[in-house]
Amino acid sequence: MLPKYNVLTQEQVEIIHNESIKILEEVGMDFDYEPALEVFRAQGQKVEGNRVHFTREFIEAKVKLAPAEFTLHARNPEHNLVCGGENIIYMPGYGAPFIQLADGTRRKSTMQDYDNIVKLAGASKNLHMTGGTVAEPQDIPDEIRHLKMIYSSIKNSDKCFMGSAEGRERAEDSIEMVSHLFGGKEVIKEKPVLISLINSLTPLKYDERMLGALMVYAEAGQAVVIASLVMAGSTGPAALVGTLALQNAEVLAGIALAQSINPGTPVVYGSTSALSDMRNGSLSIGSPECALFISASAQIARFYDVPSRSGGGLNDAKIVDAQAGYESMMTLMAASVTGINFVLHTAGILQYFMAISYEKFMMDDEMAGMLLHYMKGFNFDEDGLAFDAIAKVGPGGHFLTQKHTRKNHKKEFRTPQLSDRSAYEAWSKESLDTNQRAHKQWQEVLANYVPPVLDESIDQKLLEFIANRAK
Amino acid sequence: MSEAVFAELKQAIIDGDEDIVEELSNKVIDESINPVDAVQLGLIKGIEVVGELWKAGEVFLPDVMMSAEAMKVGLGLLEPEIAKLGMSQGEAKGRIVLGTVEGDIHDIGKNITGAMFTAAGYKVFDVGTDIKAKDFVSKAQEVGADIIGASALLTTTMSAQKEIIDYLKEHNLRDQFKVFIGGGPTSQLFADEIGADGWAESADQAVALADRMLGK
Repeated sequence: MLPKYNVLTQEQVEIIHNESIKILEEVGMDFDYEPALEVFRAQGQKVEGNRVHFTREFIEAKVKLAPAEFTLHARNPEHNLVCGGENIIYMPGYGAPFIQLADGTRRKSTMQDYDNIVKLAGASKNLHMTGGTVAEPQDIPDEIRHLKMIYSSIKNSDKCFMGSAEGRERAEDSIEMVSHLFGGKEVIKEKPVLISLINSLTPLKYDERMLGALMVYAEAGQAVVIASLVMAGSTGPAALVGTLALQNAEVLAGIALAQSINPGTPVVYGSTSALSDMRNGSLSIGSPECALFISASAQIARFYDVPSRSGGGLNDAKIVDAQAGYESMMTLMAASVTGINFVLHTAGILQYFMAISYEKFMMDDEMAGMLLHYMKGFNFDEDGLAFDAIAKVGPGGHFLTQKHTRKNHKKEFRTPQLSDRSAYEAWSKESLDTNQRAHKQWQEVLANYVPPVLDESIDQKLLEFIANRAK
Repeated sequence: MSEAVFAELKQAIIDGDEDIVEELSNKVIDESINPVDAVQLGLIKGIEVVGELWKAGEVFLPDVMMSAEAMKVGLGLLEPEIAKLGMSQGEAKGRIVLGTVEGDIHDIGKNITGAMFTAAGYKVFDVGTDIKAKDFVSKAQEVGADIIGASALLTTTMSAQKEIIDYLKEHNLRDQFKVFIGGGPTSQLFADEIGADGWAESADQAVALADRMLGK
């Protein structure tokens, strides 16, 4: 495993920490949810209206309660995931309202798209979990959308997935459903199975929906990603360090809330901070600044000894083109090599989170595979040094008929899934570009995918639960 | 008894294990097992499997090349025995003399091509690197080749591919052999210019082209 690289000095991390504490003490944050305010009052924090001013001691003591790593349990225990330490978890994009099609057109996403992406993630060798809200099913009424999505995540794969963060009630529904799957709330309280995405409302606010969900999950012992998306220049200062301090203040306050409710709640330090383009104001995630925020966030999370989350294959491209590729590789590589543990949006994202593309999904899956291989680093054992093979071939020979080559290439080399390495003439028979190859590939993967069997009685219980809730 | 040896030979070819092929080939000779059958039912059956696996994308280049090497070891032992006994070996798909042209010592592409032809059931005579036109031709005449395959990696040595064709014309031998050329800087256009019969970009394509041209 390659060592994770740092972009800040220890002193710089401490400066950011102290700036965040200063923001929390002197400026304070708004929490638009009375139960959260009650928690802070009970903890002796100064609450005026919805504004909370924190003390350094409170924040630092609470953040220490968060575990350095935790196990997220899957329906198939082979897919259990350790979040934290040296581990990396890749998963699909989250929350996109549109599907970008290979022919360049865009349409609203549907339940079918959600099912398909869960299946593609289930089939992937490189994606560790199937994520959450992998497409917004706009053909399903809002009140039951979260139920259908959780059901699809359970039914179409046996990897870990995410819960709904859309308020207290939907978080409770998510927990009910996984309780049916795993044998009760007591079981999952000991063994977290859900992880959910709680976002601050930058600058310096949390809304009722997110706080409601956060509190439900913390009470139930389920994991939460506490994330801030500062748009530097619009919802944050046009300064990278100031943006990090602002993001950090928001995340620290969220972690402190979770730990106040249930000490030891598994939390993930989240960042999606990026910038506002200064010509048109739009979010720009495929930028070097975003890659810097990602890299710094991995390191800041290490400073607090909690797992980290960032985006993955991020970009502002509209279609699966070169911009989509080069921007995504920059951010996904930054996340991977700096030690982000939980990489949301690894696969499928286009148009600064507005669209998911099946073709982009396959391209990102390939990039994820490349990076997993890259991060394995070097093999220094006898096979890795290969002296015997070098001696045997000697000057002027070749290695293609050596037993060492035949055995070792499978360990040391990665075979691409999507990239084309054929010679020009062979390629030019069909002349397919990446978008076109990916278009064929995802359809093949989907056609060949067999979802793991779900126990019929559990399936029945889940369907009944949804039917009752839909009434 | 001999069936078991043929099956083991076949497997040893598939495994690309030249040591076992050598051991088994000697056993065939020592125990007076029919060497033609050993080639046909052992070695060739094995290399056919490798060829199929390669086409299906299930084995890699080193696998094919090691199988081809093992094949060479087996044939090297059994063919003299077949000749000694005055038996007929049975027909290969075709015979190809393969080498890198004069002035050029790059041979990885040529070696890969040789292995692919072997795996496809051709009899390959690899004459090595830095080979003069006349040496290509005399080897081809000696072995009764169908194809002369000439490799060049440098823009400066491509002209030597033309020299082979010119040599054949000068000696009224042009219709005796198909001439295939290949290598990084070459192209179909260049092949047409110098009057070569075939050009391929990769070893796979060269085999496919030979199959078509020889009607196999």
